[in-house]
This record gives sequence, C-alpha cells and structure tokens, in this order.
Amino acid sequence: MITASDRIPRRIAWKPALASPDWLLPLLALALCGIGLLLVWSATRLDPGSTFLVRQAVSVAVGLVLMWVVSRIDLRVLRAYVPFVYVLALVSLTGVLTPLGVRVNGAHSWIVLGPGVQFQPSEFAKVALALTLAVPLGELRDGERRPGFGGVALALLLAAVPMGLIMLQPDLGTMLVFAAMVVGALVVSGARKRWLALLFGGAVGGALAVWKFGFIKPYQMDRLMALFGGSDASGVGYNAAQARIAIGSGGLLGKGLFHGEQTAGHFVPEQHTDFIFTVAGEELGFAGTALILVLMCVLLWRGLTIARRSATPYGTVLAGAVVCWLAFQTFVNVGMTVGLTPIVGVPLPFVSYGGSATVATLAALGLLQAVHRARTPAFD
Amino acid sequence: MAFVLSLFAGRLVQLQGLDSKVLQAKAAQQRVLLESLPARRGTITDVKGHPLAITDEAREIYLDPADVTPARRDQIATTLAKELTLPKEQIAGMLAKTDKHYLVVVRDLDPMRAKKIMSYGFKGVGSKPTYRRTYPGGNLAGGLIGFVGTEGRGLTGLERAYDKVLAGQDGQQSIEIGRDGQRIPMTRSTRQSPVSGRSVRLTIDRDVQWAAQEAIDKQVRATRARSGSVIVMDIRTGQIVAMANSPEVDLNHWDDYAPSDWGNRAAAEVFEPGSTNKVITAAAAIESGAVTPETRFTVADHIRCADRVLRDAHTHKTEPMTFTQVIGESSNVGTIMAAQRITSQRLYDMFRAFGFGATSGGRLPGEEEGLLPKWETWSGSQRCTIAYGQGISVTALQVASVYQTIANGGVRITPTIVAGATDEHGRMIAAPAPAQTRVVSATTAQEITGMLEGAVEDQGGTGSEAAITGYRVAGKTGTAMRYDQKCMGYCGYTATFVGFTPAQAPRLVALAVIQDPKNGHFGGMVAAPVFKDVMTFALKTRKIPPDGS
Repeated sequence: MITASDRIPRRIAWKPALASPDWLLPLLALALCGIGLLLVWSATRLDPGSTFLVRQAVSVAVGLVLMWVVSRIDLRVLRAYVPFVYVLALVSLTGVLTPLGVRVNGAHSWIVLGPGVQFQPSEFAKVALALTLAVPLGELRDGERRPGFGGVALALLLAAVPMGLIMLQPDLGTMLVFAAMVVGALVVSGARKRWLALLFGGAVGGALAVWKFGFIKPYQMDRLMALFGGSDASGVGYNAAQARIAIGSGGLLGKGLFHGEQTAGHFVPEQHTDFIFTVAGEELGFAGTALILVLMCVLLWRGLTIARRSATPYGTVLAGAVVCWLAFQTFVNVGMTVGLTPIVGVPLPFVSYGGSATVATLAALGLLQAVHRARTPAFD
Repeated sequence: MAFVLSLFAGRLVQLQGLDSKVLQAKAAQQRVLLESLPARRGTITDVKGHPLAITDEAREIYLDPADVTPARRDQIATTLAKELTLPKEQIAGMLAKTDKHYLVVVRDLDPMRAKKIMSYGFKGVGSKPTYRRTYPGGNLAGGLIGFVGTEGRGLTGLERAYDKVLAGQDGQQSIEIGRDGQRIPMTRSTRQSPVSGRSVRLTIDRDVQWAAQEAIDKQVRATRARSGSVIVMDIRTGQIVAMANSPEVDLNHWDDYAPSDWGNRAAAEVFEPGSTNKVITAAAAIESGAVTPETRFTVADHIRCADRVLRDAHTHKTEPMTFTQVIGESSNVGTIMAAQRITSQRLYDMFRAFGFGATSGGRLPGEEEGLLPKWETWSGSQRCTIAYGQGISVTALQVASVYQTIANGGVRITPTIVAGATDEHGRMIAAPAPAQTRVVSATTAQEITGMLEGAVEDQGGTGSEAAITGYRVAGKTGTAMRYDQKCMGYCGYTATFVGFTPAQAPRLVALAVIQDPKNGHFGGMVAAPVFKDVMTFALKTRKIPPDGS
C-alpha cells in the first residue's frame, strides 16, 4: 500500500507547468468504452434497437471531451472549486429526494431534466467526493507527515453527509462505493492504523445495526441471501443463476459477438447495465472476460502509479480515491456476475450502459490525468 | 488487488472452462422449446374413393391467463363466450387461473371463426393450427369406422384397428425462446417434418352401405327391436360391401352416444344363431355321406333328446319329409335326426371349418370369437340343440361367412374390409389377397345351395319373404331364442335371414339380424324383408343380371 510516508521526497519542487500527459490512460479508456459499446449494442440491438447504442455513444463522446477538459485544468484551480462542487453534489443529491427525482428499480436516484435527458447525481457525487476527501486528508499542515485527528474527522464528516443522502434513496451499491473511496483515501493519506481499525469496527457495528433494525430493503436482503443460498433460477437467485449460465455457456472463446442466444433471449435482467459482463462472458468467452479484466487492471495500476508519483499529498489522495472507486466497482460488479460477491447494483466502469456513470468515470480519468501532469519530473 | 484478480481468474476458469458444458446444457434447456408438429391423419374412403373419414385444418383456441391484464378479463370472457357460445363463467374461471400458461378453450374450431376471434387482438388469447377429423357420412358405417379421440388417436372401429397406418408420424420443431416467450430472432430452428398418415380404402360401397343402414334402421324401429345388423359380402372375393348396424353412432357427435352403441355389432355382438346354423349340420351330414338332399325322414313335431323334449316351431302331424324339406321348412326335429347320423366330433369339426369359435381372420375391429364348446363337453341335449343353432353363440359376420362358403362352391374366403392403403408416395396399394380354404366339396355346396333355394322359392319355405323378382335366391331363416343376461335366461328372439343370389352363379351374400324384436319375431317375417330390400339395391348397384323368374 502506498502511504504518504513512502511518497516522493518533497524537496523536489513540482513544476507548475504541465508535464506531458499519460497516453496509456485515454487508450485504455477508449478500449474499454469500445468494448462496452459493442456489448451494449449486442444486448439491445434486437430489442429495443439502436437507442441504447446511440445514447451510450453520445455519453462516451461527452465523457471523453470532459476527460480532456478536466485533464487540462491545473490541480490548484480544481482545488479552488472543491467547496462549490461539494455543495452542488449535495444539492443535486437532495434534489432526487424531491419530486424532481424518479424511482428506478426501487431507488430514487434520478433527476429528469427533460424528455430523454436524466442524470444520476450520485455518479457525479463520486467525483465530488474524491475531490473533497483530498482536502482534509491531502492538505497537511507544515511538519505533518500524515493527517491528524482533525483531518480524518473532517473527512469522515464530509463523506457522511452525501452517504446519508444516498442511503435515503436508498442505493446500497453507491453507498458502498463511497465507503470504499473513504477507506481508500484514508489508507493512501497515511492516516494512523488505529483510526482505520476504529472505522472498520464502526462500520461492522453499523452494518449489524442496519441488519438488526431492518434498514436494508427486502430486495437487497434477497440479493444477499441469493449469494449464499441458491441456484433457484426462477426465484431469488434468478439474476445470479442466469448470469452464471450466460457466462459459463460462452466457454473459452465465446459464441461470437452478436451470437449469444442467452443475451438475445434477455435471460439475464439488466444485461446492458449492471450485468454487461455476462454478455462478454457469453459472446467473447474467457478470452473476452480476461481481456476486460486485464485492461481494467492495467488502468488501475496506472492510477496507483500516478497516485504514488503525485507531487502533492492532495494529488495522491485524489488519485487514490479515484482508483479505489474504479477498483471497488470493478471488483463488486465482476464479483456479482460470477457469483463471488452479493448482487449490489454498481455498473462496470466504462463498459456498462449508463450516461451519468460513463461521463463521471471518464471525468475521473481526467482527474487522474491532471494529477499525472502535475507529477514530479524526476520520475519521468 | 492481485489476490482479487486471481480469485476472479480462477472463478472464470471454473465457469467458462470446467463447468462450461454443464452451463451450456442448462442454457439450452431453458431456451429451446420443443414443439410437436401434428401429422395429418390419412383418409378413409369407400371402395370407389368416396371419403368416409377425412382430416381438415382447424384451430385450437387457448388462453395464457398469466398474460391477461386483469382489467381486460371481463371483456375477453364476454367476447369469447359470445363467439364460441360457451358459458361466460367457464371462460372467466379459466382466466382466473393466473398461474397457468396454456389452457385450451376449444378444439377443432373452424379456421374462419378462429380468425375472427384473433382479430380482436386480445393479449393472452392464442390460436394454434390443428387438425380436425370429420366424417362426411355422419353415422354411415359408424360402428365399423369408429372415431378419433381428442388426442388424435383412434378410439374405436377401424380408426383404432388401423391407427398406426392412419396416424402417420408427428414431426417436431425446436425453436429458441427468450425470457419473454418470444422467439430469439437470430437463432436457428430445427424441424423434423411430420409424415402424413396413409389413406385406407375400404371394401365398403357407400351406396349399398347407406341402403343397408336405412333398411335395418327402419325395421329395428318398426319391430321395436333392441338392435340389428346387416352384412353384404362379395362371394368371390370375401370383401364386405356393407356392414351396417342399428342404432349406429354418429361419428361427428360420438360423445352424445352411450359407449354401448359405439361398437361394430355385426362383428362384435354374439348371439345364438338358430336355424341358419342348420346348413352346417346339413353340410356335415351330406359331406360324410350319411344323408343326401333326397333322404327321407319321418318327422314328428317333437323329439326326445336325453333329458329334454325338443320341438319344432309349429305343431304338425308326424309326416314324411325329404332332407331338402327339413331344411326348407326349418324342422328342428328333422335336423336333429340327420345330426344323429354323424358323430359329435364330425359336427364340431365342421363348425370349426366354417370359422366358428374363432375370429374371421380379416382384422375387423372389435371382432368376437363367439362361443363354441368343445364337442367332448356337449351334454346329451346340447348335442341336439347345437344341430339347429342353440347352445352356441356366433357373430353375424361368422354366419355370413358360412353362407359365403356355401355360395362359393365350398371354399371359404377370409372376409376382408380393407381394399388397400396408400404407400409413402401416395399410390394405392391393394391389400394382399385373402386366404382361401376349402371347407366342403363343390358337390355338397351345390346340393345345399339347392336346398336353400327351396327354402325361399318352394311352397311352405320359411324364407318366401326374401324372394326377389327376376333372381333366384338361396337363403335360410333363423328364429333363435335369445339369451339375455338381464333376465338370466332366454328372453325374446333373434330373427335372422341370410342368403345369396343369383343362386346358380352366386355373387352376393347378405345377412340381416334383428335382436329382440317386439313386433313379430320370425326371421322369415322380420329379417327377410330387410334382406330383400338390401339385396335388391345391391344387385342394381352392382349391375348383376337377373337369372330367373
């Protein structure tokens, strides 16, 4: 793990001028988005048609532009806008709970801006959280090597507000992504182990309380039970069982793009969004699923490298939070489709259909790029 | 991260490598839907190719209650009830079973009516092409042809006996269905085409059959009889030209009839034959040389036989009679006297040779063997009664076959009902020629024919009502006491007439039997007119030239 203590020696002054960008990041993003577009097309082309492909293509285009724009912004400028971004995120998260919000799959997570134009504030809130967490955890007072109690407490407080709002939707998956980002940011920032242990204890206690007092919606409970329980393809474990059947039937090389009968038959629910990995499994086989995992891992490894080489603790924490976000979503998403983790609704970054998620994750790559360009030249 | 990654890799290898085959099978199992493609059942025609049983297209209307919006249930029930003239509650009840996906509302619906129902566009109401068996003749040869059940299998008659030939081979289609029940567009479907059933051509002549049915039906009603049958057979080929019963089941509405009326009485109902049986006694006696047609007997109107006194039908003075007269006037006493000149075994063997105690060999549906006790078991009086046809039971078909044998110069031809069937290319292939066996010598047959001619033509003959102008008819009446299980003994009569014509070169044999007539009971009075009507019509239809007065 990277901590602030084994970061770059700070005697090397970081260049205010922007260094050359990391080309691997946008290439990996392009590759994953490209695979995603093909899989979304495969899952939706017969029914309902090209709508989803077109929308996703627009999202990718918007996301790539936003990635480029964000990567051009100086980190210090970004830092200046953090309070504004944070407040905007809170306002929009509150907005979904008002009549502006729309309920999809049991959760109030959408705001409709107009016909056909809606967005999911919680996705953009992830960007806001990464930027926000880096403030108390990455801006150390002189002489400090790690964030003090005040910094950690403030970070937790700042994270708790949006998490609370998301629990009201309720959206367990996004809440868990936020939690993972907080943990990741804390670890990267080099905060004391005992605080982490304390936090972990608190989380377990909280989870038990949630369990005990029934804050979890019945459908979430069912999904959890399905992981441990069963293979009953028509009942609670339907999603999980169908996902396994689709992936497994692909074999080593798959049935060929657009040739998956399970996909065409719409056996796996939410196949173009949260369960897009099953399309890859069926049509592209082990070769395809492995390729996606390898691309994701290279991307995460690049992200970690960028975090480590960041000239400032702010950049390290920011990049660390982003990497944690993407890593957690990837692992949970792939894990649930292959039956290793419970089914919680999180999309597979860059690949799943979803405008807000695609734009937000690509913007997050822009943040990584911005951190990269502000890196220490000595390591080039 | 490396740990998580290797965990995923391991899981993917497990799913996509090791378990792949199992999961592929599971996937196919939930996707592939096997649908049976019904084969078109073969046609049954009469000897000239007129259809007696045909299969045409129909529709099955079904409901998928799970797919019906509750708000539309009432409208669907009302509309279907009106279109199908079914009680609305019945359809509403089916719609309420929302856990079901396939409930048949009506089968065998006319395609045009089905089209109208489908034009309403109700979701959850479907129409499936099926085949419908119809019988253009209604009850024509109903018991013989039989009918097909809702599952498409022959249940009675020839439909059952020749089910394998007629049914053909159902095909199968596999299509891949998505979760919503719609076909997955890009998938291939495999199809094994159904093989249509073969068509069967009967030896029945539709027109003669119709005349026979009319005649027997009329007489059964006129005499308030329980039932009756008529058989017309071609003497030279053994082919059955008509086989009619009364009452006869209407094959298009068979479920309106009691199961006891579904059968083919002419081959399935057993009865004691009575005097028609005397020709076998005569054949056995003449064939063994014990008597000739001219042998004289001194015949009283009763005779003591072991523990019983047996009588003729009418009282008469003791008088001398030739054997021809004995048969012509149907004297029981005279027949017993002739039978006493031969052994029981000889008589028994002659019964067997004529086909008693066994099915005819012609694969007729529902055929019974009758009851012919072994000669060793005959009691003293039974030995005498059997000579004139009481104490054994036979079917109408067996009796007709006896007279076919006499008329054919002593050669029995196995009765046949099927003239041929189409092969896989649709060509009609004639049925193999039936077996022929000589039962008595041509001379014996000729002598018995002369005696039978006397029974119709001579003064005092019992069968004078059967005479047909222009033709020489040979025949025999039978008036048997009828064993009835209901009254635990003999109640009522069985009236029979069986004969053939033209007597010198016989072409057709016909038999009419009427069970338990209330209005008259002598075979000569009740059955002979039916014989006359049917035979007259058959002779005209077959364009058989007259040969006599």
